[in-house]
Amino acid sequence: MNSQEILTLAEAIVGAWDWATEVSHPRPNQIDVKVTHLNELVPIVVGLRVKRLGYLCAIVGLDLGPEVNEMEVLYHFCPGDVVIGLRVRIPRQGGAVPSLSEVIPSAEVFERELHEMFGIEITGLRNTERLYLPERWPEGVYPLRKDFDPASLAAHEGGV
Amino acid sequence: MEPKKNVWDEVVKGLKTWARVNSPWVLHFNSGSCNGCDIEILSTLTPRYDMERMGVKLQASPRHADILLATGAVTRQARERLVRIYEQMHEPKFVIAIGSCAISGGVFEGCYNVMGGIDQVIPVNAYIPGCPPRPEAIIYGVVKLLNSLLPAGSQIPAALPVPENTPEEVTTL
Repeated sequence: MNSQEILTLAEAIVGAWDWATEVSHPRPNQIDVKVTHLNELVPIVVGLRVKRLGYLCAIVGLDLGPEVNEMEVLYHFCPGDVVIGLRVRIPRQGGAVPSLSEVIPSAEVFERELHEMFGIEITGLRNTERLYLPERWPEGVYPLRKDFDPASLAAHEGGV
Repeated sequence: MEPKKNVWDEVVKGLKTWARVNSPWVLHFNSGSCNGCDIEILSTLTPRYDMERMGVKLQASPRHADILLATGAVTRQARERLVRIYEQMHEPKFVIAIGSCAISGGVFEGCYNVMGGIDQVIPVNAYIPGCPPRPEAIIYGVVKLLNSLLPAGSQIPAALPVPENTPEEVTTL
């Protein structure tokens, strides 16, 4: 498949969820899919996976700040030279996204990182232990959030 | 009244300093460096720049080392390991922080995962700036440290002879 065929196929798959998605084309080889219904995320990923487009290359968290009070999670799929981006929005406090690890086992590593860096709850994730942060990192402090203050770690000095 | 000078103690002290300065064994530890400084250290030790002519030997165990060559900012994960290695070294021990990151944290300053420079965690005797420092700079730093142990009359010359095939710009330290 060349990249145009991949894009057409991906759009056709996502098109089945047109009531739950907004598709845009930021670049010639990229489509960006906003998933407005969180429950449809896993079915869309299954759809991509069945057509062999489910090559997950990264899960990215994006804190939009306390003013917007929302966070975004981006799932990048990169079949061939095409990037298919799925993005979901969740509230900053108590937000949760479904785990992809049942569909794509290697997603677990990304999701654990997302959980410990942003404090986003991943429903259905079996292992939520520390992955990258030090063992004695304080609970409930998430370093990649906008309101994280590195100086606050000084209070835990000797601990972190 | 001043304590009486013991000639024997003076002789032993001089002998110890002589031995210490002429065979400083170094241990190299990377606590979060990009490997740039580590490569320069290897280049310094190997025959082109040949720090071994000053008796410097790379030592794999902290228990046999006199000088700790520390590179990189100290990440929170590496801190405990760095402190443990430092504590395993025998007295007298010296620490040389090599490169910008080891001095202050460099570009990682203020990052959530780093403590900052080496001196945030363990005492440092000499700082060698650069990103990465050239081998001459590392030699110069080591010589400065060793000179600080020697009495004023018997200093090691800072400008050491360099190999003949070395380009012009590197012959001056």
